[in-house]
Amino acid sequence: MMKRTKDFENRVGTEICLDESLIVEKQNRYFLLDKKLKELIWNNFFYGGIYLGKTKNGKFFPSFMLLSMIATKKKANKITVDEKTAWLFICGRDVFRKGVTKVMGSMKKGDYTLVLNEHGECLGFGKILRTLDKEKGEVAVKNISDIGDFLRREKLQDHGER
Amino acid sequence: MSGKGFFVRRYEELGWKCEDVEPKSAIRINSINVGKADIIRRLQLLGIELEKIPFLEEGYWIHRSEFSVGATAEYLLGLYSIQEAAAQIPATLFTELKDKIVLDACAAPGGKTVQLADLMQNTGAIIALDVKRQRLSALANQLERCRVKNTIACLLDARNALQLKIKFDRILLDVPCSGNFATDRDWFNRRTLEDVERNAALQKQILTEAARVLKDDGEIVYSTCSLEPEENELNIDWTIENLNLKIERISCHGEKAPTSIFGKQLDSSIENCMRIWPGKTQGFFVCKLKKSETA
Repeated sequence: MMKRTKDFENRVGTEICLDESLIVEKQNRYFLLDKKLKELIWNNFFYGGIYLGKTKNGKFFPSFMLLSMIATKKKANKITVDEKTAWLFICGRDVFRKGVTKVMGSMKKGDYTLVLNEHGECLGFGKILRTLDKEKGEVAVKNISDIGDFLRREKLQDHGER
Repeated sequence: MSGKGFFVRRYEELGWKCEDVEPKSAIRINSINVGKADIIRRLQLLGIELEKIPFLEEGYWIHRSEFSVGATAEYLLGLYSIQEAAAQIPATLFTELKDKIVLDACAAPGGKTVQLADLMQNTGAIIALDVKRQRLSALANQLERCRVKNTIACLLDARNALQLKIKFDRILLDVPCSGNFATDRDWFNRRTLEDVERNAALQKQILTEAARVLKDDGEIVYSTCSLEPEENELNIDWTIENLNLKIERISCHGEKAPTSIFGKQLDSSIENCMRIWPGKTQGFFVCKLKKSETA
């Protein structure tokens, strides 16, 4: 698990320190517990502590909680986008260069970057398609994962405490 | 024994004249993730008009919104939750939640679990149970969206909570119930007294197990969104008679529960339970229980 998160962290240009002894796995999903939760965890648990992400076909998919943790790191690759672009990104769209208001960390094609709104909140991440230092009206970051996923999941679930 | 006339007559006997109501949609600020002033301003900028709910610290009614409040970036970032006003009351009735070990016995879809985590400021631990895997997925979705860090969710029937081998400081029993007509337009056509009695029996079993896993100085908050006394006052009267629990006085929105139900005189302490008849909120019943000193 640690290798997978480290690989991902490297692709977004930073690393975070996680205590491996507090990470537990359940059906290819990974959770970071604190000591109290570790004492209380039950064999048949479904979810616990901080959800870090899951692996599917050997590939690691980070959770939004992990992305938020990475976003607090100064060295992480991040772009800030304007309000309209932020909304389009949440709706699953890619990021055009003209919607990017600030670039931090790598601008290199092929790297991953976190996508932040104007409040500095992490909306997801994407893959840099072309160098971000050029002003062009083309797709700059391909959407890989965005928080609109919560809504898409809700629609799949028949639930409602509304 | 069913139909609108049957149930409406029962409500009248309890002192409430049934009327058509439409509870207002409400949100609750997840204060651990955002400052209250900041999120109110952001929602106002989106054109969402809010009205402070007078009896809730973090609750706001949606006065006007041209789109679903469940489809904003702020919602997806876990800055607030959509939670009906009366449903926000139970979690606020516990004393001292920080660092406690809390059982949310019937947790999914997780609105109250997230609220507990917020009140606990992500300290201590919440064990959240539900009996259906699909409902646990919904719960997990809420926990991740709202960045809850102190919760373990388990697929387990609350009636088997002893299997966890944990004694709890606080237990929330927002038990499965018959619901009420304010949130279900078809309620009077669907529900019968037999349904109500079946749910009441299940609730007694859950109360019994909760009493077993409660620490000596612990607290239970019991709530339903049912208006039927079998699931509320009558169940709690049975509880204090059979489970060595006593009712604590609480202060919240609502009115004192009746102590005389359909000719049966209940323990006088039942008046410390609170009954909320539908209006601006849905119907609700809530009370707080502690172990009797003799237990």
